[in-house]
Amino acid sequence: MASRAGSSSRGRTGKGALAEEASTMKKVKEWSNWTLKKAKVVVHYGFIPMVIIIGMNSDPKPQLYQLLTPV
Amino acid sequence: MAATTVKAEPLGQPPEEKVAERVDYLNLPCPIPYEEIHREALMSLKPDVFEGFRFEFNKGLNPQFGLSHSVYMGLAEIPSQSSETIKIPTAQYEFGANFMDPKLLLLGRVLTDGRLNARAKWDFTDNFSLKANALLTNEPHMSHGMFNFDYKGTDYRAQFQLGNGALFGANYIQSVSPHLSLGGEVFWAGQHRKSGIGYAARYNTNKMVATGQVASTGMVALSYVQKVSEKVSLASDFMYNYMSRDVTASVGYDYILRQARLRGKIDSNGCVSAFLEERLNMGLNFNLSAELDHSKKDYKFGFGLTVGQ
Repeated sequence: MASRAGSSSRGRTGKGALAEEASTMKKVKEWSNWTLKKAKVVVHYGFIPMVIIIGMNSDPKPQLYQLLTPV
Repeated sequence: MAATTVKAEPLGQPPEEKVAERVDYLNLPCPIPYEEIHREALMSLKPDVFEGFRFEFNKGLNPQFGLSHSVYMGLAEIPSQSSETIKIPTAQYEFGANFMDPKLLLLGRVLTDGRLNARAKWDFTDNFSLKANALLTNEPHMSHGMFNFDYKGTDYRAQFQLGNGALFGANYIQSVSPHLSLGGEVFWAGQHRKSGIGYAARYNTNKMVATGQVASTGMVALSYVQKVSEKVSLASDFMYNYMSRDVTASVGYDYILRQARLRGKIDSNGCVSAFLEERLNMGLNFNLSAELDHSKKDYKFGFGLTVGQ
């Protein structure tokens, strides 16, 4: 009985370890999906403004009105 | 005495020339990057043909920073199952910003429907560079992105690619002689469950470039470009897919004149195309494009103007 209980508890911890591993993998996948989705939104809205900011701060520094006028 | 010394010099020269011609295998030139192996053939045979009206205005605020505004009015093709092509009239405006530094290159273009096309290239050291390319849309699951890590050695280049949809790829190209370079690539696409391996070779001299590429996806591509003179070059291309038994051969010309560049090609699919870029004035370019596909009865004509400063 004790041995069966012992083996069943070992069996349960064995399955428990596998379940833990599977759930950490799932968590890692979920987090990486979440970060990729957020990164995609950030890049989609922020890439062009970032290029404009980097360009306006480069030498020789252009004026703000030059950004808007056609000439 | 003077006569003997004069006679000795010409005899001395030919052995020196022969020594200079011997190949120094430890000092070969760096090869072209793997993805640009067909660059000359691609530039001559596949110009950017379009249909409709295209106007582009490039404004440079700085030698490094510029903005571009582009308007396109014309017909866009919708992929359809039947053999007829369906075209619907569209008009779009595209805003772009680009920053070009010797070490950092950033290019972004955004369309009126919210699609963003972004490219970035960063050289962290002389030999190592990182490139990224993304096409982002508002529709879910239609966006693509790819990162490339490049390493440039003395006579070889290696690249590792990482893309969305679990796409992994690597390629390597090595200069084997001053004119010949050989390379190979492998890729693995997790989402489509495909993987492949390919080999490429490129032989170039000052007057000609010949390339060949074979891949396990069934593609065999050969191309040959001959520079007939300073202004004229002729190119031909052959592509064969041994899995789908699809063959395409094309022959084209490329005239690079002082004020104009004219490219034309004819295809084995019955497609004839031509593209003219003419410089009307300083900073004003006029483009004419025509593509006649006789087998599909699809005729496309376009004209455009590019105002660049």
